[in-house]
Amino acid sequence: MTPLVNALACLVALGVASLLWKPKSSFYRNAALLAGFLLFACLYTYLGSETFDLKYLEPQLEHYPLRMLMLCLCLSTTSLTLYRRRYLVLAQGLWCWVELFGGIALYYRGIDVAWVRIAALAGITLGSTFLSRISKEMEFCLMVFWIAIWVFF
Amino acid sequence: MFRYLMLAGLALFLPGLYALGYSVYQGPSAWMVDSQTFWGTPISLFVFWIGLAHAGTLLSAIFLALGIKLDRRTALIAELSTLVCLVFAAIFPLMHLGVVKNFYMVVPLLDARGGMANVCSPLVWDFCCIAVYALLSLFFFAIHLKSREIPLLEKYRKPMAWLLFPLVLWVHTIVSLDFATTFVPQWRGAFFPLYFIAGAILSGLALVNLLLCTEGYRVRLLERLMLVGSWFMIGFWLWEFLTKGTFCTSAFIFAGVLPQLRIVSFVREHRTGRIFLSLSVLLGLFLERYFLVSPTQGSSSAAPFGWVDMGLVALSVGGFMLLFFGARRKLSLSMESEGTYFGEVDGSDMAMVEEAAREAEALSREKKRGIDLSYIQPWSSDEYKVLHLPLLVGFAAALVFSLWVSAQLPFAASPYENIEVAFANIVPLFYPIAALIAAGELLLAILHHLRQSPDSAHVTFARRISTIFAAILVVFAAVAGTFYAGGASRASAESVEASPLNVENPIEKYIREMSNESAESLPATMDSAEIKLLWNARCAKCHGVDGRFNEKFVREYYPVPQKLDAARIDSLGLDSLEKVVLDGRVNMSAFRGRLTEAEIRGLVAYMRHMAGDLSSSSAGDSAAVDSSAVDSAAAGEAP
Repeated sequence: MTPLVNALACLVALGVASLLWKPKSSFYRNAALLAGFLLFACLYTYLGSETFDLKYLEPQLEHYPLRMLMLCLCLSTTSLTLYRRRYLVLAQGLWCWVELFGGIALYYRGIDVAWVRIAALAGITLGSTFLSRISKEMEFCLMVFWIAIWVFF
Repeated sequence: MFRYLMLAGLALFLPGLYALGYSVYQGPSAWMVDSQTFWGTPISLFVFWIGLAHAGTLLSAIFLALGIKLDRRTALIAELSTLVCLVFAAIFPLMHLGVVKNFYMVVPLLDARGGMANVCSPLVWDFCCIAVYALLSLFFFAIHLKSREIPLLEKYRKPMAWLLFPLVLWVHTIVSLDFATTFVPQWRGAFFPLYFIAGAILSGLALVNLLLCTEGYRVRLLERLMLVGSWFMIGFWLWEFLTKGTFCTSAFIFAGVLPQLRIVSFVREHRTGRIFLSLSVLLGLFLERYFLVSPTQGSSSAAPFGWVDMGLVALSVGGFMLLFFGARRKLSLSMESEGTYFGEVDGSDMAMVEEAAREAEALSREKKRGIDLSYIQPWSSDEYKVLHLPLLVGFAAALVFSLWVSAQLPFAASPYENIEVAFANIVPLFYPIAALIAAGELLLAILHHLRQSPDSAHVTFARRISTIFAAILVVFAAVAGTFYAGGASRASAESVEASPLNVENPIEKYIREMSNESAESLPATMDSAEIKLLWNARCAKCHGVDGRFNEKFVREYYPVPQKLDAARIDSLGLDSLEKVVLDGRVNMSAFRGRLTEAEIRGLVAYMRHMAGDLSSSSAGDSAAVDSSAVDSAAAGEAP
């Protein structure tokens, strides 16, 4: 996957995140958006992987759609109105989970675990638990940090 | 109602019990084993039931931790279903081991010989996670059940819920790694952890919805979650199709398409319709597990799904009905909520009514203390105050354990001395150990509080629990000590009479004995193809189709079987090998009574034949003489 397609995935996640948890939006709407985004992420990863051959899909891309979903969830927590810190930490924890256990599955096939990415996520997750009232500036910082993890690590 | 369901369960359970006994006696050849993955019906059922076991903790603990309302009766039903599902989930991996009596070898502790379980194996991770999950779920259920009589316990429910929250996800993640860490192409998938969790949650929701139908009421929130869960599963199935080209159509129809019928009001508003939807999801997810575990099903090389497999399914379904509804009848009084619910009542509303009084009380208490309820300072919640010390000690203990294991394993007198232990191998054990220690500390804290209580009934209850806890510890210590100094401590040299070396070449001796055998001792119809089939059915699961040990074991299983190379076979002697096959050894099942003498001799000759092939392919000419000798032996034995 090229860096451009990877960065574009981040933008798509950001776009969908902005649609989630709108005031008065129904349970079904949010769930359908997330499930629909998962379907989209699967197709996006498949088409963006440059292989177009099932046998040669890069192993690192096997959990790419889930990583996109987790990034979307993290970004979407900035628009929550209640229990923001709790869901912020949970969303990051879930992303960390996908990376860690996906990495362990890949490790048994001879691929190194992305420890830097996991450590960065674990660090920000732990740090988020210390956040007091989350300001707009802090929301922006968090988003920058997540995007940096996505693009650089 | 419950009585009839119990009777139906008994009708399924009894024939299932026969299938279980037959399977344990016969070993893995009794049930359907996939020719590619060497896994079969027990593992399909294990994954299915462990998924169902998520219902209790998911609905009760996670909902409680996140502040989602669920009434007491529904939560207790879900928690009870977890415990019963775990009982049946635990049976199947034991069967799958083949050597049931050696189950303790998956416990990551040293045995008397200094042997250490293979902590790189997901089977060991499985054992730790599921054992801890079962203990903590039991603890959580007991606290909930008694919390009405002893209100003090309510304070510990939410901290326990937060402790169980990661654990419930951890368990199914580890189950998914049983698959994802293997070399089987259909199982490769770094997305498996979340895929399995989604499947487990969906099946757990279907089970709880089905159980609520038997209770005569419904919780709409859970029905909605089941529908939404099916949408996510469709996403995962699409990804599996795109990455591997495999697709389980029946699972898609039953657990993906049919649940959408909930949109039709006629279906969702009738109990029969809701039962149909829940059963459809359960059937679909069972078929999905079956498809996943046995990817060659449907092809000509696959073993058929026979009466033993059906018996095992009946055992688990019947056993669940028997045990669950039996316990449900017994606990009827303790499980009731504020009111008794029947018909089309929405559980979310019921929960709100139940919570309203509790919240009003909490609000007035907090207002008196002058606390702003709309904002909670970081690290200041009540749950954190209860949990922080136990968790700290738990994580420290897990860290010490990890360091001990990583220092111990490479030097232990075990087959793993050359296996490198990395951080990624030990991480899966980390949280279960921390959670176990933390839960132990919470139990001690609860007992301490109860003893301080002015109510004499509480003190008596605390004493009773302390006694039970102490008794369990003593029994556990006795059992652990027995296993530590028991069968595993027997050195293999004592159980195998090795032929004296340099006196007579064991191969030559074997050929001589074979030539002296009367022709009638061997069945006339037994040929090399039959021996090969016999090997594949009985031995290949552990020792591999080609006689090298099955590579899967190195990473997936404990214990690692012997590599049957020529040097080892020669050092043991062929007659000793026959004895091993007959009587078993430390880690190997006995086949006396299950194989004829001629079959055993055929297998040993085939084993030596393969070892010769391996030697000649790896060591060149050095083993050529042995190989040809045993080829002739095999040919002589199998006309």
